Amino acid sequence: MINFKSFKRIIPFGFTGAMAILVLGLSCNDQEDEKVDFNAEVRPIINNKCISCHGGVKQSGKFSLLFESEALAATKSGEPAIVPGHADESEMIKRILHEDPEVRMPPEGPPLDPKEIDILKKWINQGAKWEDHWSFIPPTDKEIPEISESGWTDNPIDAFVLEKMEEKGLSPSPQAPAATLARRLSLDLTGLPPTPEMVKKLEESPELTTYEELVDELLASPQYGERWAAMWMDLARYADTKGYQKDRHRPMWKFRDWVIDAFNADMPFDQFTIEQIAGDLLPNPNKDQLIATGFHRNTMTNDESGTDDEEFRVAAVLDRVNTTWEVWQGITFACVQCHSHPYDPIKHEEFYEFYAFFNNTSDADTWTDSPTMPVYTKIEEQERANILHWIDSVKSASPKTNYQFAHQIEEKEAELKSIRPDPLPVMEELSADERRQTFVFERGNWMEHGKEVQPGVPGSMPKFSDTLPNNRLGLAKWIVSDDNPLTARVTVNRIWAQLFGRGIVETQEDFGSQGFEPTHPELLDWMAVNWMKEQHWQLKPLLKMMVMSATYRQSSELSKEALDKDAANYWLSRGPRVRLTAEQVRDQALAVSGLLSKKMFGPSVMPPQPDGVWQVINNPEKWIESKGDDKHRRGIYTYWRRTSPYPSMVSFDSPSREFCVNRRIRTNTPLQALVTMNDPVYVEAAQALALKMKAAGSTLDEQLKEGYELALFKQPKPQVLNSLKELYQTAYLHFEANGEGLENLGKQETDPSINALTMVANSILNLDGFITKD
Amino acid sequence: MNLFEEVIYKNAELNTRRHFLKKCLSGMGGLALGSLLGSSLTSCGSNDPTGQMADLNNPMKALPSHFIPKAKRVIYLHMAGAPSQLELFDFKPELQKLNGLDCPPSLLEGKRFAFIQGTPQMLGPQYQFKQYGQSGAWVSDRLPYFSQNVDDVSFLKAMHTDEFNHAPAQLLMQTGSARLGKPSIGSWVTYGLGSENQNLPGFVVFVSGGTTPSAGKSIWGSGFLPTVYQGVQCRSKGDPVLYLSDPKGVSRELREKTIDIINDINRQQYQEVGDPEIMTRISQYEMAFKMQVSVPETMDISDEPKYIHEMYGTEPGKSSFANNCLLARRLAEKGVRFIQLYHYGWDSHGSNQKESLHHGFNDRCQEVDKPMSALLQDLKQRGLLDDTLVIWGGEFGRTPMRENRGGKEMKFQGRDHHLEAFTIWMAGGGVKPGLSYGETDEIGYYGIKDRVHVHDLQATILHLLGMDHEKLTYQFQGRDFRLTDVHGNVVEKIIA
Repeated sequence: MINFKSFKRIIPFGFTGAMAILVLGLSCNDQEDEKVDFNAEVRPIINNKCISCHGGVKQSGKFSLLFESEALAATKSGEPAIVPGHADESEMIKRILHEDPEVRMPPEGPPLDPKEIDILKKWINQGAKWEDHWSFIPPTDKEIPEISESGWTDNPIDAFVLEKMEEKGLSPSPQAPAATLARRLSLDLTGLPPTPEMVKKLEESPELTTYEELVDELLASPQYGERWAAMWMDLARYADTKGYQKDRHRPMWKFRDWVIDAFNADMPFDQFTIEQIAGDLLPNPNKDQLIATGFHRNTMTNDESGTDDEEFRVAAVLDRVNTTWEVWQGITFACVQCHSHPYDPIKHEEFYEFYAFFNNTSDADTWTDSPTMPVYTKIEEQERANILHWIDSVKSASPKTNYQFAHQIEEKEAELKSIRPDPLPVMEELSADERRQTFVFERGNWMEHGKEVQPGVPGSMPKFSDTLPNNRLGLAKWIVSDDNPLTARVTVNRIWAQLFGRGIVETQEDFGSQGFEPTHPELLDWMAVNWMKEQHWQLKPLLKMMVMSATYRQSSELSKEALDKDAANYWLSRGPRVRLTAEQVRDQALAVSGLLSKKMFGPSVMPPQPDGVWQVINNPEKWIESKGDDKHRRGIYTYWRRTSPYPSMVSFDSPSREFCVNRRIRTNTPLQALVTMNDPVYVEAAQALALKMKAAGSTLDEQLKEGYELALFKQPKPQVLNSLKELYQTAYLHFEANGEGLENLGKQETDPSINALTMVANSILNLDGFITKD
Repeated sequence: MNLFEEVIYKNAELNTRRHFLKKCLSGMGGLALGSLLGSSLTSCGSNDPTGQMADLNNPMKALPSHFIPKAKRVIYLHMAGAPSQLELFDFKPELQKLNGLDCPPSLLEGKRFAFIQGTPQMLGPQYQFKQYGQSGAWVSDRLPYFSQNVDDVSFLKAMHTDEFNHAPAQLLMQTGSARLGKPSIGSWVTYGLGSENQNLPGFVVFVSGGTTPSAGKSIWGSGFLPTVYQGVQCRSKGDPVLYLSDPKGVSRELREKTIDIINDINRQQYQEVGDPEIMTRISQYEMAFKMQVSVPETMDISDEPKYIHEMYGTEPGKSSFANNCLLARRLAEKGVRFIQLYHYGWDSHGSNQKESLHHGFNDRCQEVDKPMSALLQDLKQRGLLDDTLVIWGGEFGRTPMRENRGGKEMKFQGRDHHLEAFTIWMAGGGVKPGLSYGETDEIGYYGIKDRVHVHDLQATILHLLGMDHEKLTYQFQGRDFRLTDVHGNVVEKIIA
């Protein structure tokens, strides 16, 4: 039916325009009354077609669609472009419909399609009501859907997932075999493969209760903290050097150890946050709380001669601002350094208000990295405590005894002094009379000061409560307050992505309007609220809930139906199948071959690395290969030089840690194959595995099965066993004919059977099933 | 390019990745590579992640450009440390007259220098200049071989930059931003165009002069682009590519057998679990095996005839700029897209013998003169210069004043960092030969005509490769990024 009312209105605008609307009116009018969903329908059109000229960067014709107030305000012409309730009086619609392509919006590209125009018109006719982007609206406790699938009713995660799955016409996969499940679980919770005993236990009694015992055991193991700290290191941009040209050594390891301890102790995430951002501002902070502030001292320091210290101090503060937003809020704040956010409701000035929170620490890009605090390794701490205790007890005895022991006391004190601390950079607030003023930087240029600003948070975010101190501590508390809409969602999503290979919001780094929409918004909100309220910001219960779910326990095998309907597994109708991280690839090879050292904490170590990789100007520091066990420590303890990170890890997508990285993009390249085939570390692991195989039995079958099982926790199928045997035989003949044998790391092996088994082990450690968590 | 090829290009353009990208507004840029696991099937269209999917199993696959390219590949000779334009190409007789006089205050007001303090003295050109070739280009006597090739070269004499410290200036030159974290130009080019040879890395880096440039490996890093696009450093000692050679005692046949078995078992795995990523892994192992042959073959220059070695001044097995130039030609022949050479040691402050115009600088000139000239001639005689763009230059220029670190006269002669004027040259790949573009004032302090900013140079390089620098974008952190940020104008006048 033609809407005569709007027909009349459009007559003055010319015949062509009238015709266009007439056609639209005909095609879409029957839905006139259906309420337009701003976020789902209108915002995508605005963001894709309008915002680059009418947003945070440009406001052509003084018209911006970023904020409601701006969109409804008068434009350059003096009139508003949107008249709520009257689409056909709105200049915005007139320009979109204009017949002259020179005048029609958008000026580049094709005109909007009729469906889009219709949505915009209806939206204006319905009052042009604005709605915040979903992630800026605090999550509410969502109702758990009712479902009937057996085994899927106990865990709320499953209810949400199953509902979506059914909506998409998919059905869940059966549970993964016990061994696969044990391996998946162990890799996820500790970053290491399970022990054969764990697998056996679950295989023998595959009930949920046994599985739960395994979950609890893994969550309680010290390796849990190492695995989750490895994730946090990318966010904290942790490195053992300062970055920039000289990239000299910086002793940050105590901060890394603090993170491992915090994860192992299951420190609630709100406290974890407060201590890292503002541990120094807590009342009477203890040593650990000061160590935690190392988080924001992982910014780079420029020691190149001729550089301006203030320029790089500013760069460090900017990095703290951007990192804080990226880690806790999943919002890309960096754009706002130069102009208002192009898509999200954050103003240029607000960036510098936030910057003001961080602009008053005493560090200033000096080569000493001051302020620092002396830190000791855990062993040194113990030694110091013993000595101090001895001295105290002697001194507190009678003065006579004191005199008698004077020489020994002297010796002990000398011993105490010989334990040298490392200076760990920490945060320290400037005193009241030294405080810096903060200005807006025009176009992001630190030398062009605009107006002065005071500390504050963006207006589109929850209010900064008057009860909070107006400093970093208040800011940290604001970030973890219950009404912050982003912190819990972003964190829960990050943890989810670690297990499932992809976040519910795939763009973990961007919860803004240009990021992906969540696939399971209700589930994300329910988990976020439940985590804050019921799980008290603790990660272990959250992880436990996730890994106990039937969703997680599904087999990862991919059916033809699933490949057609949901190749990328957005709707979770199967378990995760994901290549392991750089650290996990290394740790796993060392673990299954029995080489892995379980030594924890302390200064970073230097496992074998090819000669000549480190070549840095004016820097005498050298890669000195660690000895003994230290060659086989977990990846998290590998020395990290920003300008030349450990090459085999970079091949597996580790970032350089020059800045915060929220999500590693996984690649699959030939260079990775070269690492796992030829890097001496992996060859050494193959040699060690070969020896285990050799010792497992007298027949070749037994030996090959042992190798395969140690790595993959299952028996090789006959066909696989045949392939391995074929390789063994070819290799054996090769080594037998070639008297020289296999050489690695300066060691020569002449026994052809061990060499042949090493080649088999080398191939096992390169199998897709080994490199992949499935 | 004939008409037929042109038609194919036009058609292909409609379906390029960038075209696809342009329609995408997904968080990761909608870039969909088979080998970007997990995110491999990113969406297109709205922000609904499950929309249209793309399948690109090979991230280095050669892709069509935006328009018909003049250059198919790039050899970029970066002189790290910044050579003095005043001792090589930008001849200033007026500066000679001012030699030893105090620098007028007008040149110093409001300027920031890395080391100059107080009032420095002017420093005349330290070497003799002559004009060469049909084009009459001025070149100093430090480059006797190169001066015979000036008619193939286009000089950009009024280059300028924003940064006067090495690391940020190198980053700006190579990544378009003085801050860390942006993709290098080679990464952008291979992301946009892939590479013509799948058995060699698409973006190869060589370093000579004893050390990595100041900015470290970030200048060939992939920034926010997938790591598959970062430069692969080929080394002249040890493995040319890290972990390329098999452990001692493993023969070629045995490695082949191992990979066959790995791939056999992986194929069985694929039959069982159906994950397409397994097929990608199989092809990566095959490629690794091919690289194990093709990289050492390409890197072994001992099979070159004697006259070639004499021409370049190469010695097989040695680590040198000369060897790297010859390797660059060999890679260019094999269709590698972007070949980046760094030669370290041009920082001629005068603060010590190594860093002075009469010693270190002189040595560097001798090291590069013959090989870079040979490279131009060799490419030309093989018909490769037409579609290979060769670029030579540092990250900034040097001051017409003599450096006086700490306000004192130094024992050796040298010049401070200078961002207002420097010279680079380009050859082949659609650049006008025998041209001198841009002018500096009479003392070479400031560009006065046809100034070219670093971003303009980058826009021009992409243009010659057939890409619009404003359209080669990647979405990261919610916005489209490009090599030239929001800047850059193509220098049309140097294009043939």
